Amino acid sequence: MQITNENIIVAEDLTISYDLHRERKKLIALQDINLEIKKGEFVVLVGPSGCGKTSFINAVSGLIPKSGGSVKVRGEEVTAPGPDRAMVFQDYALLPWRTVESNIRLPYELQNLGISEEEKKQRVKNCLELVDLAGFEKSFPYELSGGMKQRVGIARALATNPDILLADEPFAAIDAMTREAMQAEMERIVSETGQTCVFITHSIDEAILLGDRVVVISYRPGKIKEIVNIDFPRPRMNNSEVKISKTYAELRDHIWNLVKDEAMQTTRGE
Amino acid sequence: MAKATEQIQYETDDPNRIQDVGWTFKEVWRRTRGFVVTSVNLIIFFILWEIVTTYGNINSLFLPKASAMFQELWIGMTTRAPEGAVFSGSILDHFLHSFKNLMTGLAIAMAIGIPGGLLMGGNKYVESILSPYVWALASLPRIALVPLFILFLGFTTTMQVTIIVISAVFPIVINAWAGVKTTEKSLLAAAKVFGANRVQLYYKVVLPYTLPFIISGIQQGIGRGLIGVVIAELFGGSNGLGYLIQRSADTFNTAMTFAVLLLLIVMSLSLINFTRWLEAKVAPWRNVNHL
Repeated sequence: MQITNENIIVAEDLTISYDLHRERKKLIALQDINLEIKKGEFVVLVGPSGCGKTSFINAVSGLIPKSGGSVKVRGEEVTAPGPDRAMVFQDYALLPWRTVESNIRLPYELQNLGISEEEKKQRVKNCLELVDLAGFEKSFPYELSGGMKQRVGIARALATNPDILLADEPFAAIDAMTREAMQAEMERIVSETGQTCVFITHSIDEAILLGDRVVVISYRPGKIKEIVNIDFPRPRMNNSEVKISKTYAELRDHIWNLVKDEAMQTTRGE
Repeated sequence: MAKATEQIQYETDDPNRIQDVGWTFKEVWRRTRGFVVTSVNLIIFFILWEIVTTYGNINSLFLPKASAMFQELWIGMTTRAPEGAVFSGSILDHFLHSFKNLMTGLAIAMAIGIPGGLLMGGNKYVESILSPYVWALASLPRIALVPLFILFLGFTTTMQVTIIVISAVFPIVINAWAGVKTTEKSLLAAAKVFGANRVQLYYKVVLPYTLPFIISGIQQGIGRGLIGVVIAELFGGSNGLGYLIQRSADTFNTAMTFAVLLLLIVMSLSLINFTRWLEAKVAPWRNVNHL
């Protein structure tokens, strides 16, 4: 994976708030976020539950409106979803009445990408091979395990060949063993496709193993607390040196200290 | 870490992982036991009924022999009334009348209920305008409306069908409405991220998601509609299964009454099982455990 110098996502004073109708109040989820993400970079967002990580990703994808500031992709203000940005969901969000293949083809049906039927077929095939699911084209999501469902979710996100991959806690619902395997897959896929990835997680280990940079976000209102650079060589997942190194332990400790107070705050409901 | 990955690969790729067991007695029994047990159960039930009514001191006016009931059912279902008869004693004639009314009523209920429910789920204003009327009519015991409909429409087939429609339409409306409202947010978000416009959102996500809800609404509608059929015919009519129950009981032909009741049970169960089959067919992912 080569990180270029070109900024692909630029957030300037980005603020996102939600209306709490019942209390006639406004909840500020994210406040004054300034973040530049380079093309080909793997950025991981960590922070306590409810700190606005998902809001950031949703703003980049164009799913939710911003209340202030701006978020630009390739210099253009984000107003709506587009085929250059794809998302992987925590609960997979696969259409249960469609087969694996049909789920992956969904983006082609919803928008005109100007590619031929031949190429669509070829791309679906490539995506399935990339996530190691060849042979499961005709299976339905309910017939697959959690890990396999998320592979379908990733394949669907790759189908439009997006520049930016947004992942909202994609492995949170997957068991620990499969999760490690999936992290390795994620690292491999992103380096093979050269995509920019914005990844949310609650796991500090996942953040350090996957991220080029880890952005720590504070709790309500969500602000950037610190950005931690991770300089381990890739691939990291099958390199047992990484996890037992002193640097790893120090990074882990450092990030935990950053989120600890925030996490405590959440448990007290402040 | 590497080891875990290898192991998973091995488990899914080993061709010997799934082995052919073939047909064993246990397997055959596992598949057929439901049918066998039910059949034996019912046969014993009717034999006991026959024995009790033959040797017990029971007035056949109150409880006819099981064989008399089946005989009445057989004769009633195989004969038709002659042309121009004022009253038919044939169960088949009355059954066809009721069945036709039920199907017409259900078709009208679906034609009103499905679009109505979808609109209510899809549009806040339609929902707030219509919901008080839907809840009011859905909570009113439908039987209370029968005298009114007789007053409006007389002792006619139109009156009977209207009562069936009013009985069956609300479960369909409410289920379609609930289906739209409960469509999973993440599915909608996914469709939006991958470029769906408003029309596609309904066509590709909301409608398929709501389909099993609509089918279970129709299933409940069949049950309610059947009540509507019998009530309408008991109160006002000179044909149909409800009327035949009334008439046979009035003329002390209890065997015929029981025969018609049995026919109603069979008809209701067949229709409901058909919709269950349909539901499992179109929405296998829901894996609903039915009673």
